[in-house]
Amino acid sequence: MSPAATFRNTPFREKTAWAMAAILTGGAAFYLNMVISASRALGQTAPPIVGFVIGYVVVIVIASSVVMAALALATPREANAPADEREKIIGDKAGNWSGYVMVMPALGALWHYAVNMDGNMLFHLVFLSLMLGQIAEYVFQIVLYRRGG
Amino acid sequence: MAKPPPITNRIRELREQHGPMSQSALAEAIGVTRQTVIAIELGKYSPSLESAFRIARVFDLGVEDVFGWEA
Repeated sequence: MSPAATFRNTPFREKTAWAMAAILTGGAAFYLNMVISASRALGQTAPPIVGFVIGYVVVIVIASSVVMAALALATPREANAPADEREKIIGDKAGNWSGYVMVMPALGALWHYAVNMDGNMLFHLVFLSLMLGQIAEYVFQIVLYRRGG
Repeated sequence: MAKPPPITNRIRELREQHGPMSQSALAEAIGVTRQTVIAIELGKYSPSLESAFRIARVFDLGVEDVFGWEA
């Protein structure tokens, strides 16, 4: 099947899940890289820079909006249609499972804080847990769409 | 991989007898996406009771004429 045909045959919500998973994975990798680099330079866990975190979130939101708008323009009819029964079930399952993915590293972060009292690390790990949970939600959606529901 | 539900259907055969009717046309008639019709036809997804009735009505048949339970 040609890439154009594959694109045409992929449901709108699966396309958006692919796009969001890619954006968030790139964003998480960038954030992780920044924290590791800064921590190495400082010789300790880098403190959270609120301005950077806010800017980062704004960039992610803008990138997501641009990609969503582009996908919606490519398939306006599908984009405007409400989720059908299978898509709602997929969304619910993915949201439910991703909650577990988010909670595990967050609990690890709390444990790390209780042992090491490193508030900076707690911030970064909780922030990464949130990103990981969101990425997992889109990955589960893709898997469920591929599997049929 | 989850085991597919033991529900069989004759949707593909019925579509071919009715026109043939495309998957998109059936999807539009029952208010779901084409991908959902594909998933139902392949037995990967069991439709809700409401959608099962809607599909049967499109073909002027009863639900049991379209769907079956694998013995």
